Amino acid sequence: MEKKENKRKFTSGKLLNLAPVIGMILMAAVFLAIAYMKDVNIPYSFKNILNQSIITMVVATGAVFIYTLGAFDISLGASMCVSALVGAMAYNRTGSLLIMLGVCVGCAVLVSLISSVLASVFNLPVFVTTIAMLSLLNAFALVLIKANGTGDVVQVPANAVRGINTVWFKLIVLILFLAFCIFAFSFMKLGRQEKFVGGNPICAALSGLNASKLSIIGFMMAGLGVGLGAFLTITYAPTLSRNTAGSVGMDVIISIVFGGMPVSGGARSRIYSAAVGSLSMTLLSQIMLMLNFDSGISQMVKAVIFLLVVYVSMLNSRKTILPR
Amino acid sequence: MDTIVEIRQMSKSFGPTVALDHVDLTAYGGEILGLIGENGSGKSTATSIYAGMQNCDEGEMLFRGEKWNPSSMNDALKKGVGMIVQENGTVPGISAAENIFLGETKEFMSGLFVNRKKMIKDAQDALNRIGADHINAAAMTGSLDFQDRKLIEIARVMTGSPSVLVVDETTTALSQKGRDIIYRIMQEMKEEGKCVIFISHDLDEIMNKCDRLTVLRDGKIIRTFSHDEFEEGAIKAAMIGRELKGSYYRDDYDGTVSKETVLEADNLNLSNQLKDFSFSLHKGEILGIGGLSHCGMHTLGKVLFAAEKAESGTFTVNGHTVRNEAEAMKYNIGYVAKDRDVESLCLEASIKDNIAIAGLDKFAVNNFLILPKREKQYVNEQVESLSIKCHDADQYVSTLSGGNKQKVAFGKWIGRDSEILILDCPTRGVDIGVKQAMYQLMYRMKQEGKSIILISEELAELIGMSDRLIIMKDGHLAKEFARSPQLSEADAIEYMI
Amino acid sequence: MKLIKKFLVMQLSLLMAICLSACSSGGGSSAEDPTAKTVKIGVLVSDTTSAEALSFRSYYENYIKSVYNVDFMYSDELKDAAAEQSAIDNFIANNCQAIISFASADRPAQIEKCETEGIYYAVATGTLTDEQYEQFKSYKYYVGAIGPDLAIEYQAGYDMAKFYLDQGYTKFGMFTGASVYFTEMHIYRAAGMIAAMCEAGNGDYEGAKGMDIVGKIMSEGGNVNTGKIGSVELNGVVAGYDFDDAWFGKLAAVANDPNVEVLLAVGSGQTAFAGFKPEGKMLGDIDCYTADSVGLMKAGTLNYLAGKFSASIGPIFAATLSAVYGKPIRTADGNAFALSQGYWIATDAETAEKYFEVDSSTTAPAYTKEKLDTLIGASYDDFAKFVSAYSFEDIQK
Repeated sequence: MEKKENKRKFTSGKLLNLAPVIGMILMAAVFLAIAYMKDVNIPYSFKNILNQSIITMVVATGAVFIYTLGAFDISLGASMCVSALVGAMAYNRTGSLLIMLGVCVGCAVLVSLISSVLASVFNLPVFVTTIAMLSLLNAFALVLIKANGTGDVVQVPANAVRGINTVWFKLIVLILFLAFCIFAFSFMKLGRQEKFVGGNPICAALSGLNASKLSIIGFMMAGLGVGLGAFLTITYAPTLSRNTAGSVGMDVIISIVFGGMPVSGGARSRIYSAAVGSLSMTLLSQIMLMLNFDSGISQMVKAVIFLLVVYVSMLNSRKTILPR
Repeated sequence: MDTIVEIRQMSKSFGPTVALDHVDLTAYGGEILGLIGENGSGKSTATSIYAGMQNCDEGEMLFRGEKWNPSSMNDALKKGVGMIVQENGTVPGISAAENIFLGETKEFMSGLFVNRKKMIKDAQDALNRIGADHINAAAMTGSLDFQDRKLIEIARVMTGSPSVLVVDETTTALSQKGRDIIYRIMQEMKEEGKCVIFISHDLDEIMNKCDRLTVLRDGKIIRTFSHDEFEEGAIKAAMIGRELKGSYYRDDYDGTVSKETVLEADNLNLSNQLKDFSFSLHKGEILGIGGLSHCGMHTLGKVLFAAEKAESGTFTVNGHTVRNEAEAMKYNIGYVAKDRDVESLCLEASIKDNIAIAGLDKFAVNNFLILPKREKQYVNEQVESLSIKCHDADQYVSTLSGGNKQKVAFGKWIGRDSEILILDCPTRGVDIGVKQAMYQLMYRMKQEGKSIILISEELAELIGMSDRLIIMKDGHLAKEFARSPQLSEADAIEYMI
Repeated sequence: MKLIKKFLVMQLSLLMAICLSACSSGGGSSAEDPTAKTVKIGVLVSDTTSAEALSFRSYYENYIKSVYNVDFMYSDELKDAAAEQSAIDNFIANNCQAIISFASADRPAQIEKCETEGIYYAVATGTLTDEQYEQFKSYKYYVGAIGPDLAIEYQAGYDMAKFYLDQGYTKFGMFTGASVYFTEMHIYRAAGMIAAMCEAGNGDYEGAKGMDIVGKIMSEGGNVNTGKIGSVELNGVVAGYDFDDAWFGKLAAVANDPNVEVLLAVGSGQTAFAGFKPEGKMLGDIDCYTADSVGLMKAGTLNYLAGKFSASIGPIFAATLSAVYGKPIRTADGNAFALSQGYWIATDAETAEKYFEVDSSTTAPAYTKEKLDTLIGASYDDFAKFVSAYSFEDIQK
């Protein structure tokens, strides 16, 4: 009898780990229910939800490699903006989408590389260098726009990207990238080592792990996601300005937390958190929109749910620790 | 004798683990009650509940005959029950004085500000009172060593002049001086008619200091011994539920080892921790390194794993110089650090993650692809061969008892087939059963031709296990002993002090 | 188990609450008569907090919604072209039949998308460039645009500066708002002001005069430089919306500069200068009529206000609704319309108060249902005539 009770407690812990997924499914159910009642174009809605979450999913999935280390990059959005601008300018020079993709990814990876290598050289927390990068990139975005000489925007001809601005194309990019990240995170040494460094950096060093090297690789993975995100942003909205991707940084953090990953990274990091989180976020936004909530109220509801998720995830880890 | 502490039918579970199963415990004024049991037997859990650190699931507690339900450790201390915990219980980023008066700052408020001068003075008085006058109350806690931080905790608890003091597995981490301070406090409390509950793995110590002794096993009270019933065999049997078979340490006195040198250190220097330190390690040798806590032996362990850099001098492993931890691992060195929870393990990770992390290159296909099946097999081999008590390898290390945690730390290095193992205090805070298993393991490894550097503060185990014993003092090599049945602790101590 | 229950209960109760509020606000009926069915209109907004944005929203929410069978759905604050695309997708998913846009990060993309998806699209308080108009005028779902065109913006700035120059003032300070973000509206207003100074002072702005000043400002990254313009002095300029200490410091410095007699703002002058300037110093602003701005005029803090009136977005609504009802308003050649509409100008508190009273009324605003009804199914000429008679006095007639 007692054993059963214990077994139940044990599985409840595991179930709680699945809470983000359960939350997402619940959210989808509520969305469907309201959509049904409120005269909503459901097939279009699904397409729309995918469209809106895919970019965040891609960037956030890459960013998991940073968060797992217990690190943090505040300049993701700015990096994406600059990468998109550079990519768009490259397209306008060459007319090649492939070159645009290459330039977007190359630029984002380079930015990540600079942040992490600088941090490693000066022995600073990476977070600090990303703050510096944020200002630098914002200024650089303005310089690029000015240099391009087309007012306050840089544009790629809309018909150039129309062909690939489809949910299917984006889904394929997402699935390929997700598969690559899952492979790197779960089937290569990288994921294990990152989780360990995030969980206990001292023990990780004494287990032969080189935190600087891992941080550089982690940031490059994130850069890859940012670059792909920049490319997809151009295909979705080919007019870029200084505000492009302005909300991405915050969306990424919220998605990762919503997906049930601890902000401090470490052993409980999960690669699928980002995808689950950003889908849940978009579903929640859609629910609020259908109810025509004031945008202020929507923000508040999101904030409350965010705090709730953090609170519950902390409860979970606190309770399962035996004092000795 | 008046009854002070009463615990009735206390139960507590952590997830799947039953820590306490209807425990009854009574302690009287004017006595020192010993609690002993294997890791995870529930000693710490029961006492920490009584001291307000956590709640029990069911049961009742009384303090001097009245219902006892402290809301926190601070609350308990104010009402008369203090506890010195096993692990680090101080906050590193603040001064010693602030730690001593943690949560009591309002006592020192003058207007809007804290009167730091008075706080530091009172803290210094508290430190002096317990005989720790070498600690500066204004010093940053993080800059002090483990022993001094422990003494700060003791001073903190004693400022509350408790009528019940719980000392949880504290002495094993302390030098003789630290131990003496605790013993004296315990004795004084006993004489004042107060009550001490003393938890230790050191059977000699506990038999020596206690008036009564209660044995716990698997969350249950097994037996309480009165002083005249104290008998080592009976107590051990009660602890592990069976007679200990075979000998504790190895029983041969053959200290001959292979001529082949696997590790050679030459004139290592590192501030005042290592001074012109040279030695060599042979294949199949257990080399013991002992001394006082600050003699430099713990630093030596780190230097040999390249986790710290010697300022001058060299060491080579099979002829190779080692520049960092990764290289040390490449040349098959393994290192079990002294501070288990911080340096050896990632507590929030699973057993699997902890064991696998050091062996990724061993089981990954082409040192690249990790197949879950191979990983599981690799980890399970260690879990089984070390008999780690767990549900499965996915269990979090934080939910394991001290001994099982240490087995996981061993598993990390044994799994990757380390040829040279540096073990720093491998049996600290580990119960007799696990201890014996570890000694047997070391011996088996020696026989397999592996070399072990055993760094320890326990002379008995050094003498019992080493082929050769080096005593260090102030960073120097003070004396080298060969294995011999005549070697006694007194011989070694002579060179330590 | 307790924990997970707690979490699920919390989550469920929250979602239930959302569900319930959904049930209570559902509804709608179907009939042959197009007016019988609620028309859902999406509103794209790039600004959700300014006084102007709030007064526009209030006109639709508190007046239009109460007299027409329509429902409005608002976007979040849209910062970039991608956000605009997402918002349009949201509207389409929610079966909106038309979109009225106040957002301009990428108008062509908005129009293209609406055309592809078959949803009516109208531009409020803005205009297309000539090129854009040529490109989109024949689109079936493009309704048209009503707003101050750039010539009107230029004129608004010119008129305001001239008002003070005519009184003999010669020392000016300016707030050029989003000019540094290349917002054309603000650049044209600033250029208009400087053009008036060139005329009055008999000088030029770095070699440029009249409309050429626009190009000059553009080439300087949207920045306006201080200096002498003939006999007129431009002694202080602040731009941007940084809202940091340095920005506020600059505003205070210009407002208190003894060499500045008149402060001119291309917008948000109340936020920018009103709080800092000493009593008696002149302040002119292009914004909208709110209780605050009327209060400032009464106090003498503000002396000139060119304001959009909230009901100015009535005609574009009527045109959009007309299109949804199957009676689109098209020019003689069957194209979408492009009409312009200017500001109400008040130079004294009494006038400002009068304007505000009408503008803020939720029962009898400037454009009432009776007036707007005449536009549904109207001819292009009638519609254009109606829109062009935008002055307070014309409307009151």
